[in-house]
Amino acid sequence: MEILSFEETRKLLLKYKIPFCKTEIFNSKEKALAYVKKIGFPIALKIHSRTIFHKSEIGGVKVGINNEEEFSVAWDEMKQNTELRNIEGILVQEMVSGNEIAIGMKRDPQFGPVLMVGLGGIFIEVLKDVAFRIAPMEKSEAIKMIKEIKGYKLLEGYRNREGVNVDKLAMLLVNLSKLSIKEKNILSIDFNPVMGNNKNVLVADFRLTI
Amino acid sequence: MNVKKIKKINYIFNPKSIAVVGASDKELTVGNGLIKNLESEGERKLFYVNPNDNEVLGRETYKKISHIKSKIDLVIIIVHAGLIPQIIKECCAKKVGGILVISNGFSEAGEEGKKLEKEITTMASKADIPLIGPNCLGVINTWADLNASFSPINPQKGDIALLSQSGSMVDAILDISAEESFGFSKVISYGNEADLTLEDFLLYLKNDKETKVIALYFEAIKNGQGFMEAVREVSKYKPVVAIKAGKGAQGQKAATTHTGALSTDYEIYKAALKQSGAIQVDSLEEMLDVIEVLDFQPRCENNIAIITNGGGLGVLATDYCEEMKINLPELENKTIRLMEKEESMEKVLTKRNPLDIIGDAVSARYEAGIRSLLEQENISGLLIMQSMQIMTEPLENAKIIVELNKKFPKKAIVCCFAGKKLVAEAIEYLEKNKIPNYADPYRAVNALNNLIKRK
Repeated sequence: MEILSFEETRKLLLKYKIPFCKTEIFNSKEKALAYVKKIGFPIALKIHSRTIFHKSEIGGVKVGINNEEEFSVAWDEMKQNTELRNIEGILVQEMVSGNEIAIGMKRDPQFGPVLMVGLGGIFIEVLKDVAFRIAPMEKSEAIKMIKEIKGYKLLEGYRNREGVNVDKLAMLLVNLSKLSIKEKNILSIDFNPVMGNNKNVLVADFRLTI
Repeated sequence: MNVKKIKKINYIFNPKSIAVVGASDKELTVGNGLIKNLESEGERKLFYVNPNDNEVLGRETYKKISHIKSKIDLVIIIVHAGLIPQIIKECCAKKVGGILVISNGFSEAGEEGKKLEKEITTMASKADIPLIGPNCLGVINTWADLNASFSPINPQKGDIALLSQSGSMVDAILDISAEESFGFSKVISYGNEADLTLEDFLLYLKNDKETKVIALYFEAIKNGQGFMEAVREVSKYKPVVAIKAGKGAQGQKAATTHTGALSTDYEIYKAALKQSGAIQVDSLEEMLDVIEVLDFQPRCENNIAIITNGGGLGVLATDYCEEMKINLPELENKTIRLMEKEESMEKVLTKRNPLDIIGDAVSARYEAGIRSLLEQENISGLLIMQSMQIMTEPLENAKIIVELNKKFPKKAIVCCFAGKKLVAEAIEYLEKNKIPNYADPYRAVNALNNLIKRK
């Protein structure tokens, strides 16, 4: 099992209309910086590798980079951390604010693609607050699935907190369902986190395995 | 599943003639238990095949299937697995209607058994003969007075079809429900699904006129997507109440992702059942509660009223309703005016839902309260609660409830006569008249919850 390359991942996400945060992959610091200037701070840096499953554990993730100086330090550090490793490059990604959502797919030998959605961050780590469905799934089913999450109220917007565009989240799940049914070589998918606010629901971190 | 296959399954459930290979006089054996069940009911031609004994249960035996001259609708096989391919071969040559293989020693028993199973299945399919099993308890069709199983108990006629992967669960469920007011239409212990599968039986039961509710016990599914499709189709017409055993966490092994770690087999089955419209239950008790309520009462909308003579019961029930997202609509002015006209309701000062008609409620007050609630159009189901107090008249109340249930047949009624000794007679009366009663408010609300049609 290995992780799908960034280019192939991007192609699939575009093909199935799964929206993701503005992301590009670089090996050259100068080119990366030019892109950063284009999309604006804050940004995140993440390594992408076919073989590294837990990139944050080896210092392969740095979020909330606010200026050129921070960028320069973070880039060098990341290069150093991954010097001896086989990485495809470093992803430069816009930072989007919102609620963290976790979405995933795995293949079950009996039922086929199993889809999962839940609140991300500590909610999935500690409370395991997730809902499951079997693909294929239509939008109405996706909405039911989302409403099944115990913390659904947070997605609706709770007190002063901004909620999540449930319609777009449902569409993302439907498109994930389509991808899972058609792209049989993809063994599993992890979108964690997906950032959701009132306007958009964008995949921030993706890991597709083949 | 095509019409032809359903017709063929009919040979198994409505046979005019049956041959039993492995019929035996030896007490306490499957071959003896099964034929005693067959003999106990129904009028049909029975042929016993046994190469060693000349007579079984006073009937002359045949050495081989092929020695039987008449047409055979169903052949039941209860001999050692190794002998079965030869018998199936004879069945195919004789063009019997259907085959039921009780014996074990097939795919559940390892590689050798798998081969045997494939061999017999291939022969039967080629000859276009439907086969149930192997490795099962058999089938029962109460409405045709057929008990082709070695179950120790003969279920009473009713509307519930029981489908079970496990034979011993059939025995347990039939015994537990032997004294209940509901009965069974078909009982199918489907075993290894070598030929006829769970999906086939589900679709067969969809069109079965005697079956109103389907109860399903299973441990694993062979074809997940096919199963979901079948349940989705059947659930449009009749409820499928399912219990899945084995909460094994195999899915978690070697999981490197959240989806992998959290999606245990059990979670996946739960999702599949929910998504295809089945009602998923977690215990045998819940299974029986839910099949009973679905058998007895109509499905309703999510608008329920509670009437109780005890505040405590009402509060408990209200809590459970909240937990299960059951809607308790306000009483309309019209309903309140109806109640105000009733002399028996004078002492009930607070008229709201849940309606507490106070501890000293006699039957007249129950009658007025229940009737007024049922009159309110948007109330679709009723939970009637009763705790025994010195002036409570349980049997009278039961009679009133039965009468009003007849008057408002489209509205669902579930009772919670919370007690045992003092209410036994009343509960028997209720249940005989198809009003389910649960002593525990939680079970009553849960039953009601399963009547609610949710989008």
